[in-house]
Amino acid sequence: MFSKKQSALIIVGHGSTVNPDSSTPTFAHADEIKRRDIFGEVVCAFWKEEPSLRQVLHMIESDDVYAVPNFISEGYFTQKIIPRELELDGPITTRRGRTIKYCEPAGNHARMTELLLHRAAEVAPEIPPAETSLLLIGHGTSLNENSGAAVKEQVRRIAARGEFAEVFGVFMEEEPFVTDWRKIATKRHLIAVPFFVSDGLHSYQDIPVLLGLEAAPTQAASKMEVFRRNPYRVDGREIYYASAIGTEPLFADVILDQVAAFDARHAA
Amino acid sequence: MMITRLCSEIDTLLARLIESGVRSIGEIAIQERFFLTHHADVESAGLQLFNSPLDARELSRYDDGGNFRPLKSAPSLRRGWRLGLRTIHELREALDFFYPAMLGTLLAHERRLLAPVHLRETLHRQSGMYAVAKKITDAAANELIGDFCRSDGRCLKTILWKIEPDTPVTSLPAPKFDPAANQLRESVPAIPLLCAEGCNLLVAAARRKVRGEADEP
Repeated sequence: MFSKKQSALIIVGHGSTVNPDSSTPTFAHADEIKRRDIFGEVVCAFWKEEPSLRQVLHMIESDDVYAVPNFISEGYFTQKIIPRELELDGPITTRRGRTIKYCEPAGNHARMTELLLHRAAEVAPEIPPAETSLLLIGHGTSLNENSGAAVKEQVRRIAARGEFAEVFGVFMEEEPFVTDWRKIATKRHLIAVPFFVSDGLHSYQDIPVLLGLEAAPTQAASKMEVFRRNPYRVDGREIYYASAIGTEPLFADVILDQVAAFDARHAA
Repeated sequence: MMITRLCSEIDTLLARLIESGVRSIGEIAIQERFFLTHHADVESAGLQLFNSPLDARELSRYDDGGNFRPLKSAPSLRRGWRLGLRTIHELREALDFFYPAMLGTLLAHERRLLAPVHLRETLHRQSGMYAVAKKITDAAANELIGDFCRSDGRCLKTILWKIEPDTPVTSLPAPKFDPAANQLRESVPAIPLLCAEGCNLLVAAARRKVRGEADEP
């Protein structure tokens, strides 16, 4: 791996004022990258938590700064909010002797395919992919066509490998909807992986209800409990439900991949 | 040859503050080389011991009631712990978890590089669901800040911004705007937590105010 001891890395997360699990993966990826001793400084910054995007540049001292959005796709936050709040001019911003390099969001990287397959194998190790429907669950929104694009791209890549019997993308807020899984998935075994950057209300409550794993949102003692009851038996099928792909430890490597990809793209 | 930075400027600032006798930041008391506790626990026995800067992140995550603390400068730090740190750098790392970016913000302030952003400017650049927040009147903003930002129960930061350059916040006492004032314990010199710009929580509160919704900090 490369060494960037003269550089700082900012991992930018959305964060939440109500859900403590929102920032957990971002901090975990930062801890892992810090442990590898690649960068001189590694910090997190958030839209909804502290340090904020407005504060974070004060806490680092390197003149060379990489900012990687810990987001699942390009969209409103990566294209509008983060550049505005960090006062970026484009991929490379120079200000007061400091250069800020704005990388693509982690979820955009080609290696995400590997992570999704890893997560699927982990959640259902005994189940042969050739007899299984793989369901990637995205948020999707009619407000931004990029939102669902990352899921559709991964569906295309995984399908091209021919390992799973079938691969589908389904969405919370655009067609095909999560509830449509019965109509489109034909195999008895089904693995469902939320294409989200962290666990939260969507993966704990909304998606389990939409998939039919739970009749109504549960108030379990541990919200992680929903991922520990596999397989779920629904309408004669067996569903293996994974936690959000962003909680995958390999995500730290994807963040580093985006730094390397930035350097390759902007090589002098 | 590359010259490795032996000691960061933020670490140096912190060392200077400690040497000058400052022993307080937010709700935290800094004791000799270097033990941190909640200021109300300085004399307490039976504290749970911790020894890594990373522990600071977990200690600052929930209050004593188990509620999540998205705003780290809220005066709701849990009690009952003592965190031992070996070096100034570890102390700085821990303080950056308890009060993120506050030491660096102070360094920028001392160098006259910290430009406060007045509330109107912050609200003006909002988009999406927060765009409506810019409709708040000066009077309503003044009233909102008087409750939402008060040191007594809400936030221990020192406000450096105004509503507009000619429109100061009048709903809070003068020390709330004075970096030399301790927001918690008047007589104790403290490392100030400087607020250079209204936070996202305040913007969200302004949105609720405009929409006539109840405040839910």
